[in-house]
Amino acid sequence: MTQLLSQHYGRWQIGANEDSAWRTADAFTKGCALLLNVDSEPQPEWIEADLIGIEFPAFTDGRGLSLAALLRQRVGFTGDLRALGAVQEDVLHFMLRCGFTSFALPADRDPHIVLAQLAPYSQHYQASASQHLPSLVRLRD
Amino acid sequence: MYQYDDFDHQFLKERVAHYRQQTERYLAGKLSEDEFLQLRLRNGLYIQRLAPMLRVAIPYGTLSSAQLRALAQISVQYDRGYGHLSTRQNMQFNWPEIADVPDILEDLAAVNMHAIQTSGSCIRNVTTDHFAGAAADETVDPRPYCELIRQWSTLHPEFEWLPRKFKIAVSGATVDRAAIDVHDIGLRVYEDAEQRHVFDVVVGGGLGRTPVIGATIRTALPAEHLLSYLQAILRVYNRYGRRDNKYKARIKILVRALGAATFAERVDAEWALILGESEPLPTQAIKAMQRFFAPPHLSKVDDPSAALAAQRLQDPAFSRWVERNVFPHRVAGYANVILSTKTTGVPPGDVSAEQMHAVADWADQYGTGEIRFSHEQNFVLPHICQADLFPLWQSAQAHDLSTANAGLITDVICCPGGDFCSLANAKSIPVAEAIQRQLDDTDFLYDLGDIDLNISGCMNACGHHHVGHIGILGVDKKGQEFYQISLGGHSGHSNTPASLGQIIGPSVSRQQIEGVMRKIIDIYLSERHGDESFLSCVRRVGIEPFKASLKQGQHDAIA
Repeated sequence: MTQLLSQHYGRWQIGANEDSAWRTADAFTKGCALLLNVDSEPQPEWIEADLIGIEFPAFTDGRGLSLAALLRQRVGFTGDLRALGAVQEDVLHFMLRCGFTSFALPADRDPHIVLAQLAPYSQHYQASASQHLPSLVRLRD
Repeated sequence: MYQYDDFDHQFLKERVAHYRQQTERYLAGKLSEDEFLQLRLRNGLYIQRLAPMLRVAIPYGTLSSAQLRALAQISVQYDRGYGHLSTRQNMQFNWPEIADVPDILEDLAAVNMHAIQTSGSCIRNVTTDHFAGAAADETVDPRPYCELIRQWSTLHPEFEWLPRKFKIAVSGATVDRAAIDVHDIGLRVYEDAEQRHVFDVVVGGGLGRTPVIGATIRTALPAEHLLSYLQAILRVYNRYGRRDNKYKARIKILVRALGAATFAERVDAEWALILGESEPLPTQAIKAMQRFFAPPHLSKVDDPSAALAAQRLQDPAFSRWVERNVFPHRVAGYANVILSTKTTGVPPGDVSAEQMHAVADWADQYGTGEIRFSHEQNFVLPHICQADLFPLWQSAQAHDLSTANAGLITDVICCPGGDFCSLANAKSIPVAEAIQRQLDDTDFLYDLGDIDLNISGCMNACGHHHVGHIGILGVDKKGQEFYQISLGGHSGHSNTPASLGQIIGPSVSRQQIEGVMRKIIDIYLSERHGDESFLSCVRRVGIEPFKASLKQGQHDAIA
C-alpha cells in the first residue's frame, strides 16, 4: 500500500492511494492511465492519456526526470504526471520542477516530513518544465 | 569577479537551511545512511578513513582575498588549521565534524561560497585555466561562460541524478591549461572570423579506471547555443548512460559504446528539438556576464625589465623563481605568479591558515585582491606588477611559498591517498615526499626541466597519473602497497596534444620506487638530445629503453 501525495484545490495533501487501472505503453488507449518505465521513449499520442505514471527503480535514477521533462515540454502532456516506485522526499522538489504533479510514496515515509520537502527553494537558476524563463538560465539585466 | 546579487544570496541562504534540515533529520534517525549519503555528497561531504572530508567549491578556481581569509578562519575554527588544494581547483577540509557542517556552510555563504555539487553523481564544479583573464596567450576569457555554466548546472532539476559524476572544463587560450581533453565535456572557446565567440566541444574524455582522450563532436558552436547544446549532451547521457555498473557509468563509456559519430548524431537530434523548445542566450545576457570579468584597471608602468634583470643578476635564487614560477601577462609590465605549495616535507596542496592569510594579503597588496587555485594544486596570483615581484618573492620565502619548482618534477600532483582516503589502495603523499627529498638538488632539478610527476593512490586517478609525464599509481597486491609506473602522459598544456601514459612494466614496492625513479631519470639523461624535454624524449624513443629502470640491482648514482 502506498500513500498518494497530490494537490487538492491548490493544497498538497497525503492520503491513501487507490490503485489505478494502469496500462503499459503497448496497451495504450486514449484516456487511459499509462504506466511507463524510466527508459520509455516518449510518443506523441501519449498526450491523450488521462494520467501518466513513471516508475522509479531507485531514487538516485534520474532517467525518470528527463522522461517527465520530455512529456511536458516535447509531447505537450498537460494531465496528471505521477511518480511511483522509489520516491524519496528529498527528490520531490526536483521532480516537481520536471513536471510531476502527484506522487505515490512508499507507506513508510513520514507525511509531515514529506510535506516539508516540497519547495526548499523559492527561486531557481534555470528554466524547467515548471518554470519558463526567457532563456535556459536566469538572466540579469 | 562575479558579484552575487539578492537572488544568489537568497538561494545560498535557502541551501544552507535545506542542508541543515537534512543533517538534523539524519542525526535524528529520520534519514537512512544510504539516503543521507546521496544528500551529503551533493554538499561535498565524504566520510573518509579517519574523519569526514568537506570539499568546498572554488568556482573555476577563482576567489577573492576575503574568501581566502574566510577559508583560513574555517580551517582554524572547525579543522586543524590547514586546508588542501585539490586537483579540481577546490579546497578540502579533512577534519570537520558532521554536525558542524551546516555551520561551516553558513560561514561560507557569508562570503558567497558553498559546497554545492562538489561530489555526487551530478555536474561538478566547472574548472578552467588558472591564468584566465590574465594570460598573454588568451583569445577569449572563459570565466563568463564558466559562471553561466555554474548557474545553469546548480541544482538543475533534470541533471542532479546522473549515472555518475560529470566534469566540465573550459579553456580560452592557445595553451590548454585546463586539460579539456580529459574531461566529460571539454570546451575550447575562441573567436571566429567575425569575432564571435564559438566553442569546440570535446566529449567523453576522462581518467579513472578507463582513461580516454575525448572526441570533438562539434566545432564552432555559437555562444548563444552553448547551454542548449550542453543540455542535449546531458540529456542523452542521463537517459542512455549505463547505471548497472559504476565503473562503466561515465559518459566516456557511452561515447565509446555508441562510437563518437553516433553519439554526436544523437546529441544533434536532441539539440535540434531543444532549439525549437527554448530561446537562445541573448547577446545582452552574455555581455552582462562579461562585464563582471572586465579586465582590471592596471596602471601603466615604466618598462620594468632593466630593474628586474638587475635584481635577477643580484640574486640567483630569485632569478630561478622568476624563470620557473612567473608567467607572461597580457599587459606589458605585469605578470602572473605561481606560489608553489610543493615544499619538501609538506603534502602537495596542503596549505596552513597562516599561508592562506599571507596569500590573501599579497593579493591585496600586490595584485587585484584576486587569487586562483591551479589544478596542479598551487596558488596563483594574477595581475602582479613586475616591479613587485622581488618583494613578493621575499615575503613568499618567509611563508614557504617561494619554491621555484613550477612544472618541475618536485611540483608533484598528488591525491590525499591512503593517509586520508578510504578508496585508496596505497599511500601517495609519502611517495611524493620521498621523491622530493631524493631530488632536492636545485641545479640538478633545474637542468632536468619540465617533468609532470602525477601520483594517484588508486585507479580513481584523483592525482591524474594517466596524464603525468611520469605517472605513479598505487595498487594493492595481496594487501601490500605497490606502485605501477607509466611514462609519456600529458594533460595538454605546453602546446602539445594530450596523451595517456604507457605502463612500463610490473609494479614495484614502496622501497623500490626511489631506485626506479633514479634509473628513469638516468635513462632520460642518457637518451636526451641537447636540452630536449622529458616528454619529447619519451615520445621520440618510446617506453622501451625505460623498461630497464625496473631491473633490480643496477643503481647508477645521479647528481
